[in-house]
Amino acid sequence: MDADVTLNILPATNEDTVGPYFPIYFEDPELMDISRLHHGLVVGPEGTPMILRARVLDRHKDLANGVLLEFWQANAKGVYDTPDNAGHPDLDPWFHGYGRIRTASGAFEFKSIKPGAALGRAPCMTLTIFSDGISRIVTQLFFDDEPANAADPLLASLPPEDQGKLIARHDGRTRDGYEVYAIDIVMAGEGETPFFDDLAS
Amino acid sequence: MVTRDQGRLLQIGPTDNTSDQRTPRQRLRLIPEAARASFVPYAPARAMIRPNETDMTRIAPNRPRAQGQPIEVSGTLRSETGRPVAGALLEVWSANSFGRYTHSEDGSGLQLDPNFLGLGRIITDEAGRYAFWTISPGAYLARPDIGRWRPKHIHISVTGGSSRLITQMYFPREENNASDPMAILMGDGFVRNVGQEYATPDRDVDQGYRFDIVVGGRNATFFE
Repeated sequence: MDADVTLNILPATNEDTVGPYFPIYFEDPELMDISRLHHGLVVGPEGTPMILRARVLDRHKDLANGVLLEFWQANAKGVYDTPDNAGHPDLDPWFHGYGRIRTASGAFEFKSIKPGAALGRAPCMTLTIFSDGISRIVTQLFFDDEPANAADPLLASLPPEDQGKLIARHDGRTRDGYEVYAIDIVMAGEGETPFFDDLAS
Repeated sequence: MVTRDQGRLLQIGPTDNTSDQRTPRQRLRLIPEAARASFVPYAPARAMIRPNETDMTRIAPNRPRAQGQPIEVSGTLRSETGRPVAGALLEVWSANSFGRYTHSEDGSGLQLDPNFLGLGRIITDEAGRYAFWTISPGAYLARPDIGRWRPKHIHISVTGGSSRLITQMYFPREENNASDPMAILMGDGFVRNVGQEYATPDRDVDQGYRFDIVVGGRNATFFE
């Protein structure tokens, strides 16, 4: 960052841990399952319904309890619902791509639509994790049945032994029309999931 | 501190067992430019707010005040470039004056207050301003084995456009501030997370605390 710009930058408020008591009261059912608009409606987003079935593990491989997770993804046609894309013909009126769940146990299932490939990318979901003991950590998750993984610039930026840690595996099941993908997210230690720095990058 | 040649190495909070169990040991990876924009969530505007959530000093307008000192917390929400973040959702939670959360997983056994929920939501106005009333929270013993207390603090989660931050506001001159693991990690920057006192002679609270929030990093400004 060049010095002239830095002069006008305000010092940021420090991020702090969410702690163990993020209010369950603030849970929003509309953000916990973004695979459909509402259980009482037959219209909803286009695409392949999917369940991301995951465990968040600490460095002892114990489940990390009390974790808040946020998801961000493109729609089935690979378009993100951002201000830059306002008016894009492939936006899906029923899909904003932002989800949030809190898991008491550390295991969770998140229902969504399988994202399409954005320009130059393999299909992926951005995952933000908040929990006691940490502030905010972010990464992206991919899918094992996508040939585009081989050319994805984010996966390519990682050593080969780390790439697989971000790839969810189809677990062979389709449940109630949802394709099930599974992954373990290891917060620390052996087998640690690669996390990315969206403050310094 | 922003550096561009490598990502941050996250630090483990002293005396914080959970931090030791959950803090990534590897340095965070830098995001290649081709993937950078995809890391910026854009949260839909949400206003799931019930009336009177900005007054956390009572559970409903016609109910008595909770025990403890009623306070006002106010400030502005801005990005690093100084742009006000309007229409952002602030989710606020804290312990009651005895240090007890109403959260179903708080097993501390500390006293509940039937007039205090400790939950509130506020939307920032066009200038990025916010204000809420609550009860000054109690400190609580976080590590009985070593006698470490969590100092008084109010949790604030900010979601607005491409801004995302979870932080805590601390209180000035609290003796437990110095031993708090997260405060220690903040170092000299801890002062930015401490509310600044102001008088509230014309309002029905005892004390005001100004807490201006600046969301750091490029995410907050990505779609400016």
